[in-house]
Amino acid sequence: MIDFVFPLFGRFHPILVHLPIGILLFGVVLVFLSKKRETAHLQSIRLAFLLGGLAGLLSSISGFLQYQYEGFAWDSVQFHFILGLTTTAASFWLYYELRKNAAFPDHFRLKSSALVVLLMFTGHLGGNITHGETYLIEPLPTGIQELLGYSNEEAKGLVLPVQGWEELAYFEQVVQPILNQNCKSCHNPRNKKGDLDLSSYETLLTGGEDGSILTGGNSEASALFSRLILPKDDEDHMPPKEKRQLQKEEIELIKAWIDLGGKTDSKLGDADIHAELLEPFFEKVEIPFYPNVSVAPLSEEQLKELKANGFFAELVEKESSWLMVSCVNFPQFSESDWAKLKIASQQIAFLDLSGTQVTDQILDSIQTLPNLTVLKLNQTAISGEKLGELQSISNLKNLYLNQTQVTLEQLRPLQNHPSLSKVFVFDSPASSEESNASFSFVLEKGNYQLPPLPTDTIVY
Amino acid sequence: MKNLEKLLSELQVQKLQTQTRRHFLMDCVSKVGGLALAPLLFGCEIGKNGQAKDGLNLSERDLNPLAPLPPPFAGKAKSIIYLHMAGAPSQLELFDFKPELAKLHDQDCPESLLEGRKFAFIRGVPKMLGPQAKFNQHGQSGAWVSDYLPHFSKVVDEVAFLKAMHTDQFNHGPAQLFMQTGSPRLGRPSLGSWVTYGLGTINQNLPGFVVLTSGGKTPDAGKSVWGSGFLPSVYQGVQCRSKGDPVLYLEDPSGMSRDLKKKVISAINQANQEDFESIGDPEILARINQFEMAYRMQIEVPEVMNINDEPDYIHQLYGTQPGEESFANNCLLARKLVEKGVRVVQLYDWGWDTHGTDKDGSIDMGLRNKCRKIDRPMSALLLDLKQRGLLEDTLVVWGGEFGRTPMQENREGKVQGFKGRDHHVDAFTMWVAGGGVKKGASYGITDDFGFSGIDERTSVHDLHATLLHLMGFDHEKFTYDFQGRPFRLTDVEGELIRKIIA
Repeated sequence: MIDFVFPLFGRFHPILVHLPIGILLFGVVLVFLSKKRETAHLQSIRLAFLLGGLAGLLSSISGFLQYQYEGFAWDSVQFHFILGLTTTAASFWLYYELRKNAAFPDHFRLKSSALVVLLMFTGHLGGNITHGETYLIEPLPTGIQELLGYSNEEAKGLVLPVQGWEELAYFEQVVQPILNQNCKSCHNPRNKKGDLDLSSYETLLTGGEDGSILTGGNSEASALFSRLILPKDDEDHMPPKEKRQLQKEEIELIKAWIDLGGKTDSKLGDADIHAELLEPFFEKVEIPFYPNVSVAPLSEEQLKELKANGFFAELVEKESSWLMVSCVNFPQFSESDWAKLKIASQQIAFLDLSGTQVTDQILDSIQTLPNLTVLKLNQTAISGEKLGELQSISNLKNLYLNQTQVTLEQLRPLQNHPSLSKVFVFDSPASSEESNASFSFVLEKGNYQLPPLPTDTIVY
Repeated sequence: MKNLEKLLSELQVQKLQTQTRRHFLMDCVSKVGGLALAPLLFGCEIGKNGQAKDGLNLSERDLNPLAPLPPPFAGKAKSIIYLHMAGAPSQLELFDFKPELAKLHDQDCPESLLEGRKFAFIRGVPKMLGPQAKFNQHGQSGAWVSDYLPHFSKVVDEVAFLKAMHTDQFNHGPAQLFMQTGSPRLGRPSLGSWVTYGLGTINQNLPGFVVLTSGGKTPDAGKSVWGSGFLPSVYQGVQCRSKGDPVLYLEDPSGMSRDLKKKVISAINQANQEDFESIGDPEILARINQFEMAYRMQIEVPEVMNINDEPDYIHQLYGTQPGEESFANNCLLARKLVEKGVRVVQLYDWGWDTHGTDKDGSIDMGLRNKCRKIDRPMSALLLDLKQRGLLEDTLVVWGGEFGRTPMQENREGKVQGFKGRDHHVDAFTMWVAGGGVKKGASYGITDDFGFSGIDERTSVHDLHATLLHLMGFDHEKFTYDFQGRPFRLTDVEGELIRKIIA
């Protein structure tokens, strides 16, 4: 009948704890305001330590009840609890000393300071339980966080190697990382929601408040799997609907592991799964589009100078040295203007000279840009005779020669260019040439048509 | 110079004449209050780094709000063309092939689909409506496309489909706002505004964000769908007229030569400059810049907005008829604008609201006719961008604001005269193509009736997060401080759809 009283009282702990903090602090402040022999505040100080002790006792009891009924692990609350009791005892002790004497006992300031330290530390531990260990760290700037030894990396989730995934230990290297990313924040030794800890195989076997969650060989009967596939609105669905949800491939992997027996000695390759299922987890080696060398960035003044000279000039990304330069608002650009670009010859990675006055001679200058990755020479008088000079730019990937006078023959010297991957020659002599020639790069000739269809003219 | 002096003294006199004692008293009341309010509403007046603009420490952005900025990381896409089919096309007749639905045709809708649901017009128990189109698989990717889009079916390998999109707004206005601004209510900046704010524009002689409409009407949500919300208004979309002069008053008035106009503008700018020097309001500098840009646009806009000079085979490809208001013309313009360095081009085509209340709004006739008007142009746009290499760094997005029900609409409980479908929020199809998008991908699966997504569902926020990612932004970090807190396009939601990223 009165079963609810204890848990309810336990829940008042977060409020009650503030009473001893306030009352005791007030008492200590009075101690420091009093001169050595002055006894004006003595009555009040006594009362403060008595009330502080009583409030501390209430806090400790409510705290203990909360620990009992709210699923906190003893490991996580033990120091807070012990220190809480110590603080309570200390306040009573100080009260007792004050009652004994008509004046301040020896070293009373020191003793009360020690009480404050104890109080603060207990409070801090309590705060850590409620808000998490990193509560005070999170708002700090990243630099300071790293200095304190906290890194921001979250559980990364599952990453598998493309080669040799068959040999991975199914539980340790596949299932556990999935649990770590998706379940562990609520099911760990410190925070055992539903009395369940998913941080290791042993604790997983133990199960939670509803008993075992794993029935080897029968995924349907294992809550570890079946609660994942409940409708999202179902109360028993895991993870809770407001949390990150498992990908369907992750669920598949857990199911396959359970059906395989749910043991620690199986390998990923033992299960009947295809590489396709693992596709989302394969490690992706990202090859950066722009050159992977380091070059000092242009200074702000140099960048301003480029802009003032009429170029569009901007970094391809923040914190990068690579520059995108375009003459979209500088159509009168010609060879003689090249000198204006020279300050950025190391940094230019994307150069658009479309629609400018340049001729074949410009290629002599362009080949001095070692990091050029994209070059656009659309709608220029380029005839193509000097294109071979681009062979020396070992980072060039995309070359645009649309609406120029380039022929297929002139692209020949670019054959086997070390990095060139796409060349666009739409609306140039090269685009209309019939040829079986094959190139080491993708040649986009364009000239697409959408032939008329009989249905084009039907109106219903 | 003499003109300038005249102008200035005239300005001075006018100012003095209009300032009366009443103005002074009024100013006292409002400005003292304003002084007290300013720190409370600091979100509006404080610069990006939290420092107040002091007029002395002006960045390039203060002088020219459209000045380019580098993206936080090198996104694959540098510009976006967004094709919004206002009114919401039926996914069940275009991309989401549901043979099972055909078997249920004309039967009562199962109770399970209606339970706890609200529809815009459907009341009671409607009949199911089978797919009205023939479907086939196309291209190497084997994407299902119906015979409503015969040209598009040839370019499916260029695009990535999102087949289990969902939204939470079943009326056009709020749904369009949600799709474009990330919120169904007014006041948020549109996707195009965010991008233009974040990256500025490449071509300083053209607006950064251009809007073109076709289909006879602008979207139901009005111009807010390309509005700038709480971002400075220079980042809103510039709507160009789809017929006649693209921008009014670009032509020089008769009797006024361009030189004379230039003189007028420089005199105004000088006057503004002096005003700035005495008051120090950076808004004045922005105004000076606007005048200069307007002058430059006068030269560049008529050229880029003129499709007459395009060769015949391009007109044939798009099916354009110069001089008309059409989606085809707008598609061709979109390519020209992007080619010239415009950051965002937004096309709205009105007329996709197929309820079956009349022939034009019928799924089997009106929708076919409507599809014919976009099929060739949008396919041509993809091909034209591809052959020019523009598809490498241009993102193309296609879709409506929601989908349509697998049920026949029965407004007021009556059977409609034509086949039609009601608004539907649980499942619809969109596609994206170009810069950084995985070609030939398909993401999302709907149930047997196409009623709701059962796997790989994509929310509007997810789509926005992905589009921003492709442009080089982390949607969680791309914020703007307003009314004391940072705002995002994706609010507090949105997950990247990695499977459609190349």
